[in-house]
Order: sequence, then C-alpha cells, then structure tokens
Amino acid sequence: MNDIGNTAVLRACGVSKEHGQGQSLVRAVDELDLAVPTGEMLAVMGPSGCGKSTLLHLLGGLERPTGGEVWLAGQRIDTMSERALARLRRRSIGFVFQAFHLMEELSAAENVELPALLAGCSARTAKRRAHELLERVGLADRARHLPPELSGGQRQRVAIARALVNEPLVILADEPSGNLDTAATLEVLRLFEELRSAGQTLLIVTHDERVAATADRLISMRDGTFVDDTRLSDSATMRLGDLIGLED
Amino acid sequence: MGRILLIRRLVLKDMRRHPAEAAMFLLAITAATATLALGLAMNGATNNLYRQTRAATAGPDVVAMSAESGQAALTTLAPLKHAPGVVGHSGPYPLLYTMLKAGGSTVRAVVKGADTAPGPIDQPRVTTGSWVRLGGIVVERGFATALGVRVGDRVTVADRSFPVVGIAVTSATMVYPWAEMGGQGDGTDDYSGLVWLTQSNAQALSGPQRPMFYALNLKLADPAATQAFVDSYRTSTIPVNFFTWQFIAVQDAVLLNDTQPVLVIGSWLLGFLAVVGVATLVAGRAAKQTHRVGLLKAVGATPGQIAAVLLTEYVALALLADGLGLIAAWLGAPALVDPSAGLLSTSTALTRGTVISVTCLALAMAAFTTLGPAVRAARTATVHALADAARRPQQRTGLTALSARLPTPLLLGLRLTARRPFRAILHAGGIAATVTAITALLTYYAQPQQGYDLGSSTLSNLRADQGRHVLLAVTVALVALAAVNIIVITWTTAQEARRSLAIARTLGATPGQVSAGLSLAQLLPALPGAITGVPVGIGLYWTFSVGTMAKPSTWWMLADVLGTLLAVAALTAVPARIAARRPVAQILSAETP
Ligand SMILES: Nc1ncnc2c1ncn2[C@@H]1O[C@H](COP(=O)(O)OP(=O)(O)O)[C@@H](O)[C@H]1O
Ligand SMILES: [Mg+2]
Repeated sequence: MNDIGNTAVLRACGVSKEHGQGQSLVRAVDELDLAVPTGEMLAVMGPSGCGKSTLLHLLGGLERPTGGEVWLAGQRIDTMSERALARLRRRSIGFVFQAFHLMEELSAAENVELPALLAGCSARTAKRRAHELLERVGLADRARHLPPELSGGQRQRVAIARALVNEPLVILADEPSGNLDTAATLEVLRLFEELRSAGQTLLIVTHDERVAATADRLISMRDGTFVDDTRLSDSATMRLGDLIGLED
Repeated sequence: MGRILLIRRLVLKDMRRHPAEAAMFLLAITAATATLALGLAMNGATNNLYRQTRAATAGPDVVAMSAESGQAALTTLAPLKHAPGVVGHSGPYPLLYTMLKAGGSTVRAVVKGADTAPGPIDQPRVTTGSWVRLGGIVVERGFATALGVRVGDRVTVADRSFPVVGIAVTSATMVYPWAEMGGQGDGTDDYSGLVWLTQSNAQALSGPQRPMFYALNLKLADPAATQAFVDSYRTSTIPVNFFTWQFIAVQDAVLLNDTQPVLVIGSWLLGFLAVVGVATLVAGRAAKQTHRVGLLKAVGATPGQIAAVLLTEYVALALLADGLGLIAAWLGAPALVDPSAGLLSTSTALTRGTVISVTCLALAMAAFTTLGPAVRAARTATVHALADAARRPQQRTGLTALSARLPTPLLLGLRLTARRPFRAILHAGGIAATVTAITALLTYYAQPQQGYDLGSSTLSNLRADQGRHVLLAVTVALVALAAVNIIVITWTTAQEARRSLAIARTLGATPGQVSAGLSLAQLLPALPGAITGVPVGIGLYWTFSVGTMAKPSTWWMLADVLGTLLAVAALTAVPARIAARRPVAQILSAETP
C-alpha cells in the first residue's frame, strides 16, 4: 500500500460519502481505497447510481468526504479550506463533464482562457495557451464561436482544452462521451489517447466500453464499492485503430 | 491583470446577454438617484442663488425702510447712513405703492425710484433691455415673467403709461410676489411685484393719495453681523423696518417648500420600487446564476473571485445609475431652484454631501437586491450548483391546505403567492408606494386652488404650481416603474413556476385558468398594498401641508384603489397569457433532468 502510495499522484484512503440522513441515507461511496500513479489512464465503470460521479467529486475536491482521506500530490485535500481547494482545482485538476459546462456567454477561446486567467496568468499568456490548445484539439478555426454554435463533440473538445490549460496533474472526466454520438466520441477518444501518450494522468468515469477499453486499468464499481480492478495488458488495451470498426 | 480582465469580460458578456435586465436595473436606480439628488439639491439652493445674485448685484447687507412717508422719513433715515458699523450706503430711494396694468391684468406693484447710474450698493442686473431712463420703466424679472411682460410692451402705473425698457434682477428685495417686503402700502403683507422708474418719474406719481416712502441700502463692516446691527435699534423706537440679507434669502426659499419634500419622499418611494423590481429580476435569474457559479467553482474560482464577478456587475451598474442620476439632477435643478425667476443662477453645483448621499443610496439598492442572492449562489455546494439546484420555494402548508377547496384560478393564485411570500410582501409594498403618491396627488387636487391675489387680478401661485408639477412628475415616474415591476414580477413568477403550472395543466387546468391564476397571484398582494397606500398618502400630504386640509372625496379614493387594481390586472394579463399558452409537453421534457 505504502509503496503504491508514494508514487501515486492521487490517492484515496477509506474514503466514504453519505448523502441524506436517517431513512433516506445513501452511502454513495463506501470506504474506498484508490491510488492512481502518475501517467496512468484509469477507467471507472459501473451501473448508474453506483457512486462513480460522487467518487470523482471527492477526488477533485468538489465535495468533501464524510470519512477517509483524499491526497493529491502528497497533500491532503479533504481538510483544505474552500479557498485552498479552489486554488488546487484551478492548478492541479482539470474537470471534464458529461454536460460540458461551458460558459455560454464566452467564446470557445475565452472558455479555455478562463482557468488560466483565474490562476493569475497575464491576458497574453492565457490567449497564447488557449490558442495552442484549441489547435491541439482541432478547433483553432472555431475559437471565436460561442458554445451554442458548436456541435456536442466540438463543445466537449473545448471543455477538454479548458481542463488542460493550467497543465493539471490529473484530468477527471465524468462520462465525457455520455452526450455524444459515435463520431464525436471517437474524436474525444483520440484526444484522450494523445494525452495518455503524453504522460497525462487521466481518470475517466464511463458507461462506454469503447472508452474503457482504451485505459491502462479498469475499475468496476457497484453500490459504492470497487468490485473489480483489472490492469489491462498492453495487448488487451484496445487501441484506437481497433475501435474504428465499432462505428456501425 | 488577467483576473481583472476576466472579471470585466464576464461582467460585460453577462450584461450583453441580458440587456433588458441591465437596462431595467439602470433605469430604476437612475430614477431614484436623480430624484434624491434633485431633492437634496433643493437644500440651500435658494441660499446659494441668493448669494450669487447678491454678489453680482452688490446687494445691501441691510435695507432700512421708513414706516413714515415724505420728509419725516428722510429725516429718520439720514443718521443711519453714518451709524456705527455702516461702511457704505445708497439712497434713500423713493418707494410708491400703487396699481400696475399690463395686458389684461391689474396688479399691485411697488415702484422704486432709481438713479440712472445706480449707486455703490444695490446695482440691479439688467437681464434684457437696458436700465431706467426718463420715461422708461424696468420690471423685475420674476414679476415680468408672471405678467408675461417683455421689453417694448407698455405698462400703466398709476394711470401713466410707460414703455418697458428693461428686465432686471435685484437682491435688495424679496423675489416676486413679496416685493412689498412685509407690507407698507395698506398695511398688509400683500403680494406684489417690483418696477423701477427714474427718481423724477417716481416722484411725479406721488400725491396725497399716494405718499412717498423711502428705502436706504446699507453696507456693514461685517456682513455677517447684520442681526446685531438690527438689534441695536430694537430698543429705540425709530419708525424704520430693517431687512437683513439673510432674512431676504430665507423668505425667497419659501417658494421651494412644497418642492423639496415631494422630491425627497418621492426618491424614497422610487428607491423602494426600484429595489422591488430589481430584486425580482435578480431572483428570477438565481437558477442560471447558480449554475454559472458552479461552473466557475469547478474550474477553480475562489469564493472571493466569485463574489467579485457577481457583485461587480451590479455595483458597476449602480455606479453608472448614480452618475446618470447626478447628471440629470445637475441638468434639472436650474429649472426648479428658482420658481420666481427673480434670482441669478450662475451655477447650481451639487454639493459633496449630495453626491455622497446619492452614491450611498445607489450602492445600498445594489446591495439590497443582489447581496443575498450573490452570497447564496457563492455558498451553494459546487456539485449542487452544477446540477442547477435553485433555491426551493417555501411551501406554506396551511395556505396550501386551505386553497384546496377554492376555484382553480384562486387556488393557483394563492399557491403562487405562497411560493414566494417575501416577494409578495415587497410587491404589496411597491403598490402601496405607488398608491401613496397617487393619493397625495389626488389630495392635492382636492384642495381649493389659491393663486396670488394681486389686487384686481389673481396670478398663479408659483410655490404650489411647482409643487404640483413635481408631485405629478414623481407620481408618473412611480406609476411607470410600478408598471414595469408588475410585468417583471408576473413574468418571473410564471418562469419559476412553469413546471408546476405545466403539471397543473396536465391535470386539467385550462390556459385561461392558469393565466387567471398568475394574474390573481399579483392581485392578492396588490389589494392590501393599494388599501394601505390611501391613508399613507393622505397622512403624508397632511404632514407637509400648512393650515387646513380638505380631504379628497371617498369616491376618488375608491376610484384610486379600484383603478390601481384594474391596472395591475391589465398589466399582468399579457405576460400571464403568454406564459399560460406555452406547450406543456415542451416545458416538461425540457426540464426533465
Ligand atoms: N446530493 C445528493 N443527495 C442525495 N443523494 C445523492 C446525491 N448525489 C448522489 N446521490 C446518490 O448517491 C448515489 C450515487 O450517485 P452518483 O455518484 O451520481 O452515481 P453515478 O455517477 O454512478 O450514477 C445515488 O444513489 C444517488 O442517488
Ligand atoms: Mg454520474
């Protein structure tokens, strides 16, 4: 446990989260232990309501656990103040949501600049980084478009660019392909694949076997606990090339 | 730098996305700040103008007016020229109390004999035409305005016709209609105006029926010590009346006595209505705003940064409204500060106190309306905020149980009202404020209208006229703001309750019943509001009225309340109908999480 813990960038120890109380108490996450080593792409799968989103929120400091500890890069985060948590999210964590959650009044480029500006980057640096990232996700020509003018897949790529802008330690993605059609899912997968090869640590919650199949490791969840933790061998890990056939 | 850019960007984009809301916020707060600034600008405004006029016309510190006529008066006044403390004088100048005919009016006038080149003290400022010359008359500006007399017209004084050669302003007498300065002529303080003739022309008009009085202008070593000078003559019984420049300024200010309270109280009422409307707008946006906050939190905005984003927008708009209100007051004040036109106005600057008070009002209104929702949004847990969890309306179970037996529209109306009890109270308060102003206006019209009786003719009452005009303007502004508020409140209520109303329709409520329910939800709080406004309006009028007050007829008051309720019903009808007619399935499917 300890030796994994030392190399793990993200670590949860006996972490629990309960919602509600009394009769309606739900234990969404039940004393989970998890360590995510740097550079790993981890997929979490499980039926709806098994606690995947809650786990992600706990790991990203969006919610506080009712028990246990969460560590990020050697820092315990579940006891941090709101302000410190905000700073941590801004610098060390990139969220990607199923519903994209872009600011509708801001253009694609401005959405990507947002966390950089919050972190205190100069306007010029933020602009340059946003431009680079939009190019990387293939949307340089859509930089000035507002989210409602973009397709679902394009919006999700903007969201990924936004998650990357402060070079976070970990990307946490909650069903990133949940609202996307097959073609758009493949675009997003291609992007994750690229990030993985670049050494980016990624934790992806998904319903989608194709997404899970690209991971290094697959965890299955049920009722707030892990029921399976499989390391996908290199050969078993499906590469993007194999996925193209799934389109129809 | 980047953070400031970000805040500016978020604020500007949000305003651009909701231009109608920004405009309404701006308009409502500007109405309140402009009115308050105007009201405060009236404070000491006359005193300012009088000081400016006094400086421009070499005004006397004390005017000594003989109570006797003829040679006796000159004898009495003579020693005052060299009395202790006196450093300069002009006059004595002859004064006659007579009738003046101009156009169709015959009015009391004070004729003052003047030097063709005025002495060192009291040099009236000619604003049109030229100064007196033999056979030519100069009319004081306030008097000329009231009579509609211009240079070139002819007026008849004591049966002799003179051409008007000039219009002038002085600080040695009170403004029209108080030219008699406490009354010589027939011994009462009657209304009259001032004209100047040459001394010889003036003298020629006097006779046994029209004795000649005299006025002496004095300059003191210490212009502030006028009262001490006057008091030193109190024990001696010389037949002279003294008028200090301070006393003249105070009397001149009486013309604004109706205007100022109307403006200041009007600004409170407007401010309250602005808060009602803007608070509703902000509450209506709470769900969207909360989602925005969740999003900002997820990408790492600290609570402080979020508060900055949310508040900057409203504070910036409030400061803009503050500036616009101050400018409006600065532009509008000159039209109000000098109802008689008897003073010179070189400048009507707003004092620092006014600027600070008005800015505080604007910021307070922004804080009242936005601080609560902003703090609430900033405090909402990120995950909730992202899930669009807007504040659940409170359920009043008692009311809900009661309403079950009622006809559908009333049931819907009661439930909609009960969802947001605080808003219903604010709405009732807004209606009360509006009815207060309408009632005050109606009470005004119920009073016998008393013009200035200047002997044979009656001219309009400057003080009351201006009071009425200002009251009318404030009431119109209140009614307009209240109308906008009613539409905003109805629309916001319909938006917030659209899901429940759609469900009510799947259960068999017709669009007509739903729209009637929405209208009733506004009428229920409006009824007590309107009824409260009537006694408050009469009470406020009574507080500021002098002498006896005629109460407006019961019928008028009934019409006041019913008319207001009808207007509320009419104004709610359109947004309610639009809201009630939207397809149910679309609303329900769009909202399913
Ligand atoms: N804010 C909340 N209040 C009450 N229960 C919640 C809340 N959030 C999640 N839950 C419950 O916790 C469980 C796990 O939810 P979630 O983490 O969203 O699962 P998943 O993402 O796997 O679908 C579910 O039973 C859900 O109903
Ligand atoms: Mg989920």
